[in-house]
Amino acid sequence: MADIVDIAVNTDGFKTLVTAVQVANLVETLKSPGPFTVFAPNDAAFAQLPPGTIQTLVQNIPQLRRILTFHVVPGKWMKADLEQVSSLTSVEGSPITINLADGFEVKNATVLTADIEADNGVIHVLDRVILMG
Amino acid sequence: MTTTTLPPITLPPSTHEFADVVHRLEAGGSMLPDTPENLMQIIGIYKAYAVPMDFYWRDLLYIAERVFLNPLPAFKYFLPQEYLDLPNHYAGEHADLRIWRGEATAHPELLEFMKTGEMKQKLPRLFHHLWHDRINMEFAEACMRAMFWHRGMGGQFDPYLDSAEYKANADRAIRAYFQGNPVMLGLYQLFPEMFLEQVRQLSYYANLGLFWEVMAPVFFEMSDLYDEGKITTVPEAMNFLVNGIFAIAGRPIYHHVYIRGECYEIIPKSKGFMWLYEAALPYVEAVFYRTSPFRGTKSYNAQAKQVPDNQADFHYGILYADVFPVGSAGIPPTLLMQDMLHFLPPYLVDYYKQHCRGEDDMLIQLGISFQRSMYNVTSAVIQALRTALLYPLDDPNPRHLMANRQFFEGQLDRFKRPEARLRDIQRQNYR
Amino acid sequence: MLSTLIWFPFLGAIAIALLPPRPLKLVALAISGFVLLWNVWIVTQFDSTTPLLQLQEYLPWLETLGLNYQLGVDGLSLPLLLLNSLLTWIAIYSSQEQTERPRLFYSLILLVSGAVAGALLAQNLLLFFLFYEVELVPFYLLISIWGGEKCNYAAMKFLLYTALSGALILLAFLGLVWLQGAGSFAYEAAMGDTLPLWIQLVLLGLVLVGFGIKIPLVPLHTWLPDTYVAASAPVAILLGGVLAKLGAYGIFRFGLGLFPMAWANLAPVLATWATVSVLYGATVAIAQKDIKRMVAYSSIGHMGYILLGGSALTALSLVGAIAQMVAHGLILAILFHLVGVIETKVGTRELDVLNGLMNPIRGLPLVSALLILGGMASAGIPGLVGFVSEFLVFQGSYAVFPLQTLLCVVGTGLTAVYFVILLNRTCFGKLDNAIAYFPKVEWRERVPALILAIIIFFLGIQPAWLVRWSESTSTLMVAAATPSLTQPALAQAAQIAKVQK
Repeated sequence: MADIVDIAVNTDGFKTLVTAVQVANLVETLKSPGPFTVFAPNDAAFAQLPPGTIQTLVQNIPQLRRILTFHVVPGKWMKADLEQVSSLTSVEGSPITINLADGFEVKNATVLTADIEADNGVIHVLDRVILMG
Repeated sequence: MTTTTLPPITLPPSTHEFADVVHRLEAGGSMLPDTPENLMQIIGIYKAYAVPMDFYWRDLLYIAERVFLNPLPAFKYFLPQEYLDLPNHYAGEHADLRIWRGEATAHPELLEFMKTGEMKQKLPRLFHHLWHDRINMEFAEACMRAMFWHRGMGGQFDPYLDSAEYKANADRAIRAYFQGNPVMLGLYQLFPEMFLEQVRQLSYYANLGLFWEVMAPVFFEMSDLYDEGKITTVPEAMNFLVNGIFAIAGRPIYHHVYIRGECYEIIPKSKGFMWLYEAALPYVEAVFYRTSPFRGTKSYNAQAKQVPDNQADFHYGILYADVFPVGSAGIPPTLLMQDMLHFLPPYLVDYYKQHCRGEDDMLIQLGISFQRSMYNVTSAVIQALRTALLYPLDDPNPRHLMANRQFFEGQLDRFKRPEARLRDIQRQNYR
Repeated sequence: MLSTLIWFPFLGAIAIALLPPRPLKLVALAISGFVLLWNVWIVTQFDSTTPLLQLQEYLPWLETLGLNYQLGVDGLSLPLLLLNSLLTWIAIYSSQEQTERPRLFYSLILLVSGAVAGALLAQNLLLFFLFYEVELVPFYLLISIWGGEKCNYAAMKFLLYTALSGALILLAFLGLVWLQGAGSFAYEAAMGDTLPLWIQLVLLGLVLVGFGIKIPLVPLHTWLPDTYVAASAPVAILLGGVLAKLGAYGIFRFGLGLFPMAWANLAPVLATWATVSVLYGATVAIAQKDIKRMVAYSSIGHMGYILLGGSALTALSLVGAIAQMVAHGLILAILFHLVGVIETKVGTRELDVLNGLMNPIRGLPLVSALLILGGMASAGIPGLVGFVSEFLVFQGSYAVFPLQTLLCVVGTGLTAVYFVILLNRTCFGKLDNAIAYFPKVEWRERVPALILAIIIFFLGIQPAWLVRWSESTSTLMVAAATPSLTQPALAQAAQIAKVQK
């Protein structure tokens, strides 16, 4: 199996995410043994952000890194595991609410594809970039 | 009034006290009714606010970065040319993100005012300063102090000020700043916490300065767009702000100090502090909602519970303020109104002359316009938060729409207090 | 030259009524301004060291009736003459630009001014009575035409009361002259001290009740609150500032002056009466909810001090009483003017509605500040004219009527009580955002109050300018009423004065 980064690179629809991860120097981290759970917004999700948002973040690596690490949770949380919890703490430090009552929702995003397993964790694909707060 | 174009899936009407406002927010509107008169007032005020703000942010950064711990900062409001020329990161040709199409250096109207002042006379700067014919930096400091006094309003910036890492950074800067000054260094040995607290306050100077550096070009651009006929409704003005909030959400918040040409990073950019979380939201909470009662306008008896026990229950900000006492000497809102008075666009001056006491009470009239405009800014913040944390207004899922509604109603609950001005700004004859 | 004070306003009144000039207010101001200047000039001609009548004028008129045109001024009437012409000018100045039927309004005011000057100058009892009656009808019209709510009722009440007052006074004058068998109504011929004491007492009683209505003294005061409240601000200024003083002047001139012995006998009663007036006026004022009515009741209280000073019969207390007439006239004028301004701007006089007028931009800050000054002056705060006169009255009266004086001092304290209520509710507190869209106060409306405030303040720190005119006259009047044993030197002075005549 491939690691989280490889899967993202080799799957269509994650161009923005991959670029962002590369710019933020998070590739090495996400290639490390982990394990991690990554909530990965697809390109459409990034496209929903108002203009300029990405540009500012790309200009400011620590801030970009912070947003990206908010999408990462230590440990390997499969959808089934998440039924037990209502909230996870992200690498960034802020909590991420999980709602499985009606579909699979992570904060205000909906999981499009759940449980894409990788060597060093699992990926859940989101339809929206989630933000702290 | 906005024509309420209800989303395809409709919720039952809200039963909230401000149901009208809830519905307007759900339709993508602002808390401020959409009338041409409101639009003219808020845009004119944004412009009048942005000019002194262009001074505020520069001077706040100057104090945070250069004046630093000067024990006798008599000249902290004397902005050196270097800071007047400091390029705004969001205006001018070389901007990180060009929000305003104008210049990155200080606004020409500001420079003109600094030269001649209200007296329209070129005098040495000291005279203008002592005559109080200048930009009232005291207002900016009052805002900073409100943020610093309330503290802990979310974000990682404030907790960081109490971390060992921050203390170590500050310590290095303090020692460097007072190098060769045994008196101050001795005092520092005796009262280290006092010095640290001063540095924390200076970090808030930097925080607010960096916050306003963004807002000034945003407001200038809105004014220009209005003049060009490209902003025609209140929701458009609000949406411009919403987009602005997102576009610069990631701008770093930091505190650098320059001592003898060397940069000391008290709060390095690498901490990842962001404009939205570490500056904008605490600012809105501290200045729009909480602050503290204006001095000199009313006596409060803390024993009689006229002042809340809990600082978080303070509601004396611009959204609640009684603008009528403005004019009493030295209170921060008066200082701001005075500053804005110098830069009103002509259409607002004409407008105020036609109402109430004309020129005599222009300070209050523009204060109330300012209140309207800040309700619009708050609406933008509410809509931005809704965008970031909740769902689109046309989300097909009724559960999501209900979550949006609960969010809006929760926000509006804060305006149920009797002193909140949300009711008043719904009326045009509140001026 | 004293005649000018009477006839110039009369002619002015006729001119305004008949001639075409358009800015009527300006013409009226010019006329009253001229009279004021003329009055100031008379003051410069006045010799304050002599207690006697000065600048006398005499014209035989109806010799057979004993009615002659006889004028003179002394230390009792001089301050009041000046007050009259000043307040007339102020009243005209403070009238609204858009006064209805301005021709009649200004004519009547000038008529009143001339008549009051005539009454103050007249040295013939009948002549005094004529002038005293002449101002009656103009006042009636001023109240009923330009008054506020219930003004017809108030004007009628005023007319009835003051007509009764006039009748009583005429009765007393006729009785005095006939019983003495004097051939003339000339003032100096009419001294009543040759009559039996009981007749003197009866006549004095008539005079007291007659003028007591005008002052007014409790319980003859019931016309006052209605009238003052119904009258427009300029008319209220004249009523309280000038007309009430005419009553006090009458009591001193024709009560104390003509029946000094009887007056001395009645003094304890008068002092007690004064005290009742003071306390009644103050306590009723505290209960008021209408600021104009409150000021009106304060007037009743403060006129009591004048009677107290008069009844104590010491030179000091009498000087104080005369000073109090002037002080009260000034203070009442400023208060009525400011209350009038507040009523026109805010649209109410209700204490429960008024609030926060001190607000610097949206309130009426200068008006409020001056109102506070007026209230302080009225409550006798040192440094203002009210303190000077009240202190003189108390200082002069305490030795004679300690209990009454102390109670009157309590009355001053009560004055502070109701003014604190008035000022606290009206000027302080939070301006109500819902209603606070008052029109701005024009300079035209501030000027009268500013002038009065300056005078109130100036006389407060420079009281000599207030009292020096009346010192010798009051010494003489006191001497006439007190047995020569106690004040031999003064009695001598009085004797010399009589001989000189």
